[in-house]
Amino acid sequence: MRSKKTLLALGFFLILGVMSLVGSEVNASSPQLKITPELKEKFTLKPHHEKLSFKCVDCHEGQGDDPENFKAIDDKGCLSCHKTKQYLADRLKFMDNLHTNPHNSIHDGPKLYCDECHFEHKKSDNMCLSCHSNDVKLWMRPTP
Amino acid sequence: MIKKIFLIIKNNMLLTVLVGVLVGLLSSWILYEGLHRTSDDKFCVVCHEMKPMVAAYHNDVHGGAGKIGIKVTCVTCHLPHDNVFAYIATKARNGAVEGAIHFFGNVDAIDWQANRANRAHFVKDEACVGCHTNYKTNEAISEQGRKMHAHYDSLKDTAKEISCASCHVEVGHKGLRSMLNYYKPEYEYYKGKLDKKKEEAEKKLAEELKK
Ligand code: HEC
Ligand code: HEC
Ligand code: HEC
Ligand code: HEC
Ligand code: HEC
Ligand code: HEC
Ligand code: HEC
Ligand code: HEC
Repeated sequence: MRSKKTLLALGFFLILGVMSLVGSEVNASSPQLKITPELKEKFTLKPHHEKLSFKCVDCHEGQGDDPENFKAIDDKGCLSCHKTKQYLADRLKFMDNLHTNPHNSIHDGPKLYCDECHFEHKKSDNMCLSCHSNDVKLWMRPTP
Repeated sequence: MIKKIFLIIKNNMLLTVLVGVLVGLLSSWILYEGLHRTSDDKFCVVCHEMKPMVAAYHNDVHGGAGKIGIKVTCVTCHLPHDNVFAYIATKARNGAVEGAIHFFGNVDAIDWQANRANRAHFVKDEACVGCHTNYKTNEAISEQGRKMHAHYDSLKDTAKEISCASCHVEVGHKGLRSMLNYYKPEYEYYKGKLDKKKEEAEKKLAEELKK
């Protein structure tokens, strides 16, 4: 009777163990990507992302396994880590006092697309410059 | 003389042990009191240069602004916890170094915004993990969040190690960058134009500290 109980408990833990293994397997199995040094050279990351050792698929999620065919990622991709546009606006709240917050534009509020200013693999831009060519550099730093 | 003391100890082993324990208890109690008194916002804000950090702390869920009203003491996040001796050593060192800069250096020249880049060094992950124990498995955290936490784990103890605060900016101090700017604007353009915000912040800070 006693050994039966022990066996039952053992079986239970075994199943649990296997289950947790399977669970972690799912997380680890992203498509096998071949990232050559040339690719890394061609698609360099911005220093603020580079120093966190992000992998291509951390941004290019679900875009297949051919890096050459990766597409741009949209706001949703950025916000999976950067929370919400309102949160980003709040991080630069001090600028709101002079209506210069790029994340909470006096014209459009916290609604602009990230890629109106930020790029990952090339130099960023700043859409405010198209009308305020002289003032923007006083209001904020160059877009990171 | 020494021989005599030795003899007393030898003949009164029990008493010596008892006295030893008592002295040990007493000194740890004093130590505890000392550490504790120097652990919270009221102590840290004694130096005016800590004001913006304490003000931003009061706006954060870790500083009493949340629904459940938890208030995590400053040194929980800012001193190592793994070892009592390291704890006291860092504490003494911090006190000494910070004190010295305060009295001999020009604290107003410190660039706090730039200093934030060092946050991995002065924020202790053990504290975060100590409370957020299930950060790896918590289903309430988004999928990307859990993926990032696995990423964090995979870099642990490697040369590329990152910290909780590498990603979770302004944790413990909601709106830290803005608060620093109210006290001392980063860019020329804002100088003299945010003083009203600073006044508001100072007023709120004074009220919070009275609580
Ligand atoms: C995999 C998570 C992740 C994704 C996806 C991501 N970021 Fe980041 N990014 C971070 C982290 C973490 C930081 C450092 C902490 C911070 O400042 O928020 C950061 C920092 C930044 C910074 C701050 C630079 C500075 O100098 O302070 C900018 C700008 C930025 N990201 C823009 C973007 C944009 C635009 C996208 C979408 C194309 C994006 N990020 C996608 C995680 C991510
Ligand atoms: C109108 C241009 C513009 C748009 C649109 C924009 N940004 Fe920014 N962003 C900037 C500029 C400029 C800065 C630097 C501000 C400064 O520090 O002076 C910045 C800073 C940041 C930072 C660092 C904030 C900090 O406190 O240091 C992050 C993170 C970021 N942007 C992410 C994003 C994301 C994600 C999006 C899309 C939701 C986005 N940005 C949309 C121009 C823009
Ligand atoms: C922080 C997020 C992020 C990471 C990490 C990232 N990318 Fe990108 N990628 C982007 C964004 C945003 C774009 C859109 C164009 C831009 O901003 O430069 C893009 C565009 C691309 C494109 C399409 C370029 C085009 O002209 O259409 C390719 C290919 C690409 N990335 C490859 C890579 C590779 C390879 C890696 C890993 C070495 C990588 N990316 C890592 C965000 C990222
Ligand atoms: C399509 C052109 C255009 C773009 C793009 C644009 N602005 Fe403007 N902006 C204007 C016009 C027109 C005015 C009103 C005339 C003026 O005061 O110069 C203005 C006024 C302003 C003012 C002064 C308002 C005040 O309170 O005195 C600020 C600050 C400003 N814009 C910030 C921004 C920021 C930040 C961006 C980028 C997110 C931006 N603008 C993008 C056209 C533009
Ligand atoms: C004697 C005045 C004074 C007191 C009291 C004080 N600080 Fe500081 N603190 C400073 C100064 C000055 C600096 C800047 C030191 C530097 O530039 O390296 C500083 C820096 C810091 C930093 C940044 C450390 C770094 O390596 O950049 C942290 C975190 C900090 N203090 C936390 C605290 C905490 C927590 C308390 C309360 C237990 C506290 N301080 C009490 C004056 C003080
Ligand atoms: C003493 C326990 C404790 C410590 C230490 C602690 N937290 Fe928290 N944290 C909490 C509690 C409790 C909440 C929920 C507060 C609420 O919602 O009112 C929370 C909320 C959060 C949130 C979600 C809310 C937000 O601000 O976005 C994040 C992210 C977070 N903590 C990260 C951290 C990090 C990173 C550290 C280490 C620097 C840390 N915590 C240290 C107890 C703690
Ligand atoms: C929940 C954890 C937590 C608590 C509690 C906490 N801090 Fe912090 N502290 C942080 C983090 C994380 C940063 C880095 C934030 C950033 O730069 O984005 C920081 C940064 C700082 C800095 C450096 C700011 C700079 O610009 O270099 C000081 C000083 C500081 N804290 C003091 C304090 C004081 C004083 C208290 C108590 C009133 C306190 N902290 C409570 C987590 C905490
Ligand atoms: C590589 C970046 C990264 C690192 C490092 C990281 N996190 Fe996170 N964390 C995220 C992202 C992305 C999310 C999901 C988006 C969000 O809510 O902030 C998240 C979510 C959370 C949440 C839930 C917040 C909420 O509001 O639901 C907590 C708590 C948390 N992290 C704690 C931690 C702790 C503790 C550590 C250190 C052991 C840590 N994180 C390290 C990126 C990171």
